[in-house]
Amino acid sequence: MSNERFLTGCSAAAQAAKMAEVEVICSYPIRPYTAIMMELAKMVANGELDAEFVHGEGEHAQLSVVLGASAAGARAYTGSAGVGVTYAGELYSPVAGGRYPLQMAIADRTLDPPGDFGSEHTDAMTFRDQGWLLGWACSPQEVFDNTLMNYRIGEDHRVMLPQMVCQDGYFISHIPDKVVLPEMSQVKEFLPPYNPPHPLHPERPVSHGPQIRPDQGAPMDAQRAAVFLEVPAVIREATADFNRIFGRKYDPFIEKHKMEDAEIAFFIMGAHSNTCRNTVDELRKKGVKAGMVRLRWVRPWPTHALAEAFAGVKAVASVETSTSYGGAMRGGNLVHELRASLYDLPDKERPLVTSFMAGLGGETIWLHDFEFMAKKLLNMIAEKRTSRYVYWIGFEAEGGKK
Amino acid sequence: MKAFDYRKQNLEPIKTFKSAPREEMYVPGHRTCAGCGPAENYKLVAKAAGRNTIFIGPTGCMYVANSSYLCTPYAVNWIHAQITNGGAVASGIEAAFKVLARKGKYNGAFPNIIVMAGDGGTVDIGLQAASAMMYRGHDVLFICYDNESYANTGIQTSPTTPYGAATTFTPPGKMIPEGKKLFPKDPPQLFIGGHPLLKYVATTTVAHPRDLMNKVRKALNQDGPAFLHMLAPCPKGWVFDESLTNEMARLAVETGMWSLYEWENGEYKYSHIPKNYKPVSEYMKHQGRFKHLKEEHIAKMQAFVDEKIRKIKAAAKPVEAAPVAPHRKK
Repeated sequence: MSNERFLTGCSAAAQAAKMAEVEVICSYPIRPYTAIMMELAKMVANGELDAEFVHGEGEHAQLSVVLGASAAGARAYTGSAGVGVTYAGELYSPVAGGRYPLQMAIADRTLDPPGDFGSEHTDAMTFRDQGWLLGWACSPQEVFDNTLMNYRIGEDHRVMLPQMVCQDGYFISHIPDKVVLPEMSQVKEFLPPYNPPHPLHPERPVSHGPQIRPDQGAPMDAQRAAVFLEVPAVIREATADFNRIFGRKYDPFIEKHKMEDAEIAFFIMGAHSNTCRNTVDELRKKGVKAGMVRLRWVRPWPTHALAEAFAGVKAVASVETSTSYGGAMRGGNLVHELRASLYDLPDKERPLVTSFMAGLGGETIWLHDFEFMAKKLLNMIAEKRTSRYVYWIGFEAEGGKK
Repeated sequence: MKAFDYRKQNLEPIKTFKSAPREEMYVPGHRTCAGCGPAENYKLVAKAAGRNTIFIGPTGCMYVANSSYLCTPYAVNWIHAQITNGGAVASGIEAAFKVLARKGKYNGAFPNIIVMAGDGGTVDIGLQAASAMMYRGHDVLFICYDNESYANTGIQTSPTTPYGAATTFTPPGKMIPEGKKLFPKDPPQLFIGGHPLLKYVATTTVAHPRDLMNKVRKALNQDGPAFLHMLAPCPKGWVFDESLTNEMARLAVETGMWSLYEWENGEYKYSHIPKNYKPVSEYMKHQGRFKHLKEEHIAKMQAFVDEKIRKIKAAAKPVEAAPVAPHRKK
């Protein structure tokens, strides 16, 4: 018996955290993720959830509190957005290197300056290389599902890594959508209790995080990298179990929409994929063989799944909602890794790849913006080359809005 | 709602040196300097606290020179914290034990959760986390082992470095003859000043080991946050002979540079108040960090200390003094 509700992404995250029976929660307010904590605070106050709700004095403290809680053996939950995510910067590596599988919910937001409440992926993307699991949802339902899946994957003893569970600010965090809430028995079947191998425990003393010599640094780095090679198998298992227990149809790493015979394709993650999916359907009606690949995980990056999905496609648009100033492709982040993922494809199967800066500062990416991107991809196919690395949606002389 | 019983311990006072626990919880394995005050300090704190303890060690000397991988000196639980966040990591550990105890996942006596932070990790970069932990009322003992500088990075000034001290960031020179121009922050006063749930604050030194151990136990017995400020002389940073560590701490008390007190239920209780304070020069003359000072600078220090002594004498409610550590005669 499932319970269908109409929830925002924030509410969905809070409901999932409650059903995961999180034990230590640390809050600090910043838009737009704050509502997750407001809802959890109510649940704790009402006795619906037995957890310690700690009012952190900032995001740096939030991550420090949950680090301590996770080290002591409690399932820990926190979250942030925008400059809050960056203020906590010191802690990302200690949390991941200490192998504390706590969870951080992010409803993303632009960084300053100037103050802008809008959604943008730059905040969490800035910390993609610190050793956390990282991925974006595209609906409140997926926020709920990813919360449970991330705890299961992160707490697996083969993994033991923290997780950033991201949703686009406002587009997902504040717009209600249908969410099917499962039964507690389903959650219990899917998610075992948190049971770290070496918690702080007075009867079994341990030292966490001692100093190492320089010659011990590289082996530890190599170990952290090796763990990420193990994660995809755990993601596959967890996704299969999730689909079976909750009746969903997630592909472990990427959502493929009309990719079977696609000649042009969009590469995208997060909320704007919903408009993108519709655009693909519209383009198909006009006879354009378009498709879409939506990234579910940034870390671990699904190199081989992407190569397989894009093999034989003629041109790909990487839709960039984060910035990489001065980067190789002069625009966003995803395109670098997308191009690297496709590099080893045979010449005949390797697509042309360009990128489009879109949805920055919280702007909507409209249907006609995606149609503009499609036009550029078709031009590239005709010209048989990638004439530009990056286009800025809304700032191009022809097409696009403005 | 009925309060949950977290099985808080009650540690007995140590009445004589002989009755102090023989068991060491801070054992060989560290590589601190000869005569290291903070190491002696750690040993006494760990002895007083005993087995049921979790130390949080923010970055500082007691991390860098202590916690070498595979040979740490801690016989109890220890976890590194950043220099910034000792109070916050401790808050999370305390919160975890509370919820785990409530849910029946932890059944032991509530552990002693102790932050061992240096002066930088307490009142400089670590101040925010320390203050927030005390404000929220976590059952955590925050200890500042004060060696009066950022010592492990090569003796840079911290907010507790005394006026007139030469450090590598306050070198005396033609334009700035006294080296450090500022007078220090007062850590206990910072915390006493505005944390409604803070139960107990006390000061001590490594030269007063029974006093130190009993203050640790009293602080741990509080059902809530406590703060201890401990003077831990640093031979390398202060530039004195490493056989004189305890002597420096004792002279600090005898000259009024440091005072021993407890703050409990809003009241101060002083101990070890000398009948006649020695001049500060008796303390400063042993230390290379003050060697460049001219008479006018020493007079300025004396005036600063005289004012502290005046306040203590006005407010003091002397208590019975615990014996001081025996020391080597020169």
